[in-house]
Amino acid sequence: MNPILLAPLFLLVAPLFGGLLTGVDRVISARMQGRVGPPVLQPFYDLGKLLQKDVRPVNPIVEPLLLGHVVFMALSGAMIVGGVDLLFTAFVFALAALLLVLAAGSVNSPYSFTGAERELIVLLASEPFFILMLAAVSKVTGESTFAGVLASPERVAPILPGIVLAFLLVATIKLRKSPFDISTSHHPHQELVRGLTSDMSGRLIGWVELAHWYESALLALFVLLLVNWSPPLALGAFLVVYFLEILVDNSTSRAKWQLVLQSTWAVTLVLAGGNVLALFLLRS
Amino acid sequence: MSNLVSFLVVFPLLVGVPLAFVTRGKVRNALVVAGGAVIALASLATAIAFGNGSAVFFGLPGDLEPGLAVVAAEAAIALVVIVVSLQHGRRLAPVLATAQLAIAVWLEVTGRMPAADPARLFGFDRLSMVMVLIVGIIGTLICIHALGYMRDYQRTYPQTGGRRQAFFPLLFLFLSSMFGLVTANHLPLLLVFWEVTTLCSFLLIGYTRTGETIGYAFRALNMNLFGGLGFSLAIVLLAAQPDGLDLARLTAGPAGAALLPAIALLALAGLTKSAQLPFSSWLLGAMYAPSPTSALLHSSTMVKAGVFLLLRLSPAMAGSAVGNLVAFTGLLTFLFVSFVATTEQNTKMVLAYSTIGSLGLIVGSAGVGGAELAWVAVMLIIFHAVAKSLLFLVVGTLENRLYTKDMEHFDALLSRMPRLSVLALAGIAGMFIAPFGIVLAKWSAIRAFLEVPGWQGAAFVVILAFGSALTIFYWGKLLIKVLSTQAVDAYHRSVEDRVTGFEWFAELSHAVLVVILAASLGLLSESIVGPYARGLFPGGTGALLHLDPAVVSFMVLAVLFLPALALWSWRKSAYDVNDFYASGRTTNGEHAIAAALGGTRAVTLRNYYLVGVVNGEAVFRAGIVVCGALLTGMIVAGVVLRA
Repeated sequence: MNPILLAPLFLLVAPLFGGLLTGVDRVISARMQGRVGPPVLQPFYDLGKLLQKDVRPVNPIVEPLLLGHVVFMALSGAMIVGGVDLLFTAFVFALAALLLVLAAGSVNSPYSFTGAERELIVLLASEPFFILMLAAVSKVTGESTFAGVLASPERVAPILPGIVLAFLLVATIKLRKSPFDISTSHHPHQELVRGLTSDMSGRLIGWVELAHWYESALLALFVLLLVNWSPPLALGAFLVVYFLEILVDNSTSRAKWQLVLQSTWAVTLVLAGGNVLALFLLRS
Repeated sequence: MSNLVSFLVVFPLLVGVPLAFVTRGKVRNALVVAGGAVIALASLATAIAFGNGSAVFFGLPGDLEPGLAVVAAEAAIALVVIVVSLQHGRRLAPVLATAQLAIAVWLEVTGRMPAADPARLFGFDRLSMVMVLIVGIIGTLICIHALGYMRDYQRTYPQTGGRRQAFFPLLFLFLSSMFGLVTANHLPLLLVFWEVTTLCSFLLIGYTRTGETIGYAFRALNMNLFGGLGFSLAIVLLAAQPDGLDLARLTAGPAGAALLPAIALLALAGLTKSAQLPFSSWLLGAMYAPSPTSALLHSSTMVKAGVFLLLRLSPAMAGSAVGNLVAFTGLLTFLFVSFVATTEQNTKMVLAYSTIGSLGLIVGSAGVGGAELAWVAVMLIIFHAVAKSLLFLVVGTLENRLYTKDMEHFDALLSRMPRLSVLALAGIAGMFIAPFGIVLAKWSAIRAFLEVPGWQGAAFVVILAFGSALTIFYWGKLLIKVLSTQAVDAYHRSVEDRVTGFEWFAELSHAVLVVILAASLGLLSESIVGPYARGLFPGGTGALLHLDPAVVSFMVLAVLFLPALALWSWRKSAYDVNDFYASGRTTNGEHAIAAALGGTRAVTLRNYYLVGVVNGEAVFRAGIVVCGALLTGMIVAGVVLRA
C-alpha cells in the first residue's frame, strides 16, 4: 500500500487499538485484583464523556499544550508509517512527550509540578533507548523507512537481542506501568494523587488519554519494526509484552526516580549500547 | 570582492574610533545604529556580489603585500597583552605572547617565511559568505541591543561608569577582526585576526574589573594565547612546505603525514577557541561579563571562529588519527557538558553549557568529515548563532529587570513578562524544540555516524543518544519555568514596560530571523549549505542533503508552535484563572495554601537537578581529564605519524 495512505489510516486505527488495549488491560487488572472489571469498551465511553465535559483551567495554556501533545504523538506514528526517516520520528516522539511535561509543569501547582518533573526524568531515562533502537534497526536493515524495514530480508530481532531485552524495561516507562509510573499512577491510593494530571479536568483528561492510546499504538509499531518479518507474530509479541507489563504493574510498588533513571540508563548502555557496538564491529 | 571585504574589515574600525571619544548618549546611539546598519547592508552586499558560486581569491586593493605589517600587528598585540598583564601582575600571558611574537620575528628575520602570493591573501566561498552574514547581521544587532542594555547595566554596576566609552569600540573591533578572520586565506594573516579576537574577548570579559572578572579574563587570555601559540608553531612547520600557508590549498584534500603535525596544532588552536574540553572553563567564566558580550562571544564571534577553522581543516584531517581524536573530543565534550548542564541553576550557565555542547557537535562533525556532516556543521553554525544570540539577549534583559539569572526565579515568566517570554520561547524553539540547533543536527549526525565503520561509529551513536536525552532534560526545566503561571499584580506586570526600544528591536529582529530561517530551511539547504558540503567532500553520496518535505514542514510547525501558543495565551491573560488542587487545603488565588492557625503559606516549586545521581563538578573534572588526554594523544599522533 502507498505509505502516504497508511498515515491517515494510522490516525484512525491507532486510537481504536489503544482504546481496546486499555479496555482489556482494565479487565485483566481487575481479575488479577479479584474484581470483575468494566466492559472492554468502557475506555471509549469514558473518553466520549470526558470530551463533552467543561474545563476548569488553572493555566489557559494547558489545553493548547495538551492538544500539541496529542497532535505530535499522533504525528510521530503517522510519520513512521508514512515513510518519514525513522530516526527523525524519535525526535518528534520526544517533543510530543515533552509537551505533556510542559502542560503539567505550567500549572505551577505542587502535585502537577512534581509529576511534570518526574515525567521529565522518565523522558531522560527512556529517550536514549529509542534513539539507539531506531538507529540499530536502520543499521541492520540498511533502510531508513518503515516500509523499507518491513520489506527487508533481514530479520531484525534475532540480530538485536540486547535491544529487545531493553525494550521490555523501557516499555514499562512508556506504558506508565509500575514500578516506573513515577509521574502518574492509575492506582488512586498512591501518594502523588495523579501527579501529572492532577490539575487537569474534563476534556483535558480526555486529550491525555487519547494521546496515550496513540503512544501505545506507537509502541506496537516499534515491536513491528523489531519483528519485521511477520506482522501477526509482532502483534502476538506485543500482546505478550503487554500482559507481562500488567502482571508487573500489579505486583510491584513504585520505584524512586533515582532507581528508575539509573536502572534504565544502565540497561540501555549495557544491553542496547553493547548490542549496537557488536553490530558495528560485526557488520562493517 | 576585494573592495567589499576591505570595507567590511576597515569600516567597523572607522565607527569604533570616534565612539571611543563620544560621551553623549544620543551621539553614541546614532553612531552605533547608523554604523551597524551600514555594516549589515555591506555584509549583505558582499554576499550578493559573491553570488553563491565557487570560491574566489584576491589580494589587498592595489596588490599591497602584507609582509612586515603582519609582524608589526603581532608586535602591537603582544605589547598590549604584556602591558595589561604586567599591570595586573600576571606572568603567563606575557610569556605566551612573547613566545608567539618571537616565532613570528624569527621566521621573518631568518627568511624562513615564504613570500605570500599577493593574489591569494584572501579567499571567499560559501562558508565565508555564511559567516560574513552572521557577523554582519547578528553582530550588529547585538551592538544595538547593547545600547539599551549597557545603560541599565551601568546603574547596577556604577563603578564601570566611564568605561562604556571603551565598550562599544571593542565590539566594533571584534566585528572587524571577525570579518578578516573568515575571509583570510594566508595563514599568518589569519593568525593576526585570530589574536585580535582573543584580545577583544579578553578586554570585554574583564570589563567590570572586579577581582572575579579579571581572573576569568586572564583565564580566557591564557587559554586562547596557548591555542594561538599552537597556531604559530603550525605556521613554522607549514612555512617549510610548498603552499603550506595557503589555507585553501592546504585543506584541499586529506593531509599527508608531513602535514599532519601542523594540522594537529591548528586543530588545537580551533579547539581552544571553540571552548571544547579541557578548555571550556574560559567560556564559562565569560558569563560574568555583560550579556551583549556573552551573546557576541557565543553566537557570531570568537567560538564560531574556532569551529570555522576546524571546519576548514575538516577535509585535511578527516579519516586520519587527528580527525578521529578531534571528533571524540567534540562529541565527548557534548556529552560531558550536557551532564553538567542538568545540575546547573544559573540560566546563563545553562546557555553556556548548551553552547559548548552544540559546538562539540560541530567539532565532532568536522573531525569525522564527509558531506553529510559538513552539512550538519554549517547548519548548526547558522541556527545556533541566531537562536543562542537571541536567548542571551533575552536573558540579559531579564537580568536587568529581575536582578537575577537564577532559573528558579523565572517562575511564571509568561504571566509577568509575556512579550519577553514569547521571544525567549522563539529562541528555545529555534535552539532545541525543532529545527536546528540541536534536533536537525543530532538526527542527521546519527544518520551519518551509522555509516562510520567499526567501534568508533557505535561510540558516536551511543554518545549522541545519551547526550540528546540530557539536552531535553535541561531545556525542559527552563521551559516549565517560563510557561508556568500565577496571578501577577499590576506593578510586576509593568516591569516589562521598562525594557528599552533598542533591546526590543534587536530581540524582535532575532526572533523574526529564527522564523524566516525555519521557513526557508529547504531553500537554505538546497542552495547554500548543500552545495558547500558537496564541494568540500566531492566523493559523498549526499543523499541526506535533500530534506524530506515532511521533515521541513514539521520543523516549521514545531518552531512556530510554542511562541504562537504563548502569544495566544498572553492575549487571553484576562482569562479567569482557577486555584490549583491542594489536597483539600484552601488556596487563595495567590500561589499559597492555607496553613495552620489561619495563616497562609506560599508555595515554592523547584526543579530537579539530579542531586545524588549526577555530580556536576566531578563530571566536569572527568571531562577535562578525558578530553585533555585525547588532545595530548592528538599532538603525539601527529608527531609520531610524521616520524
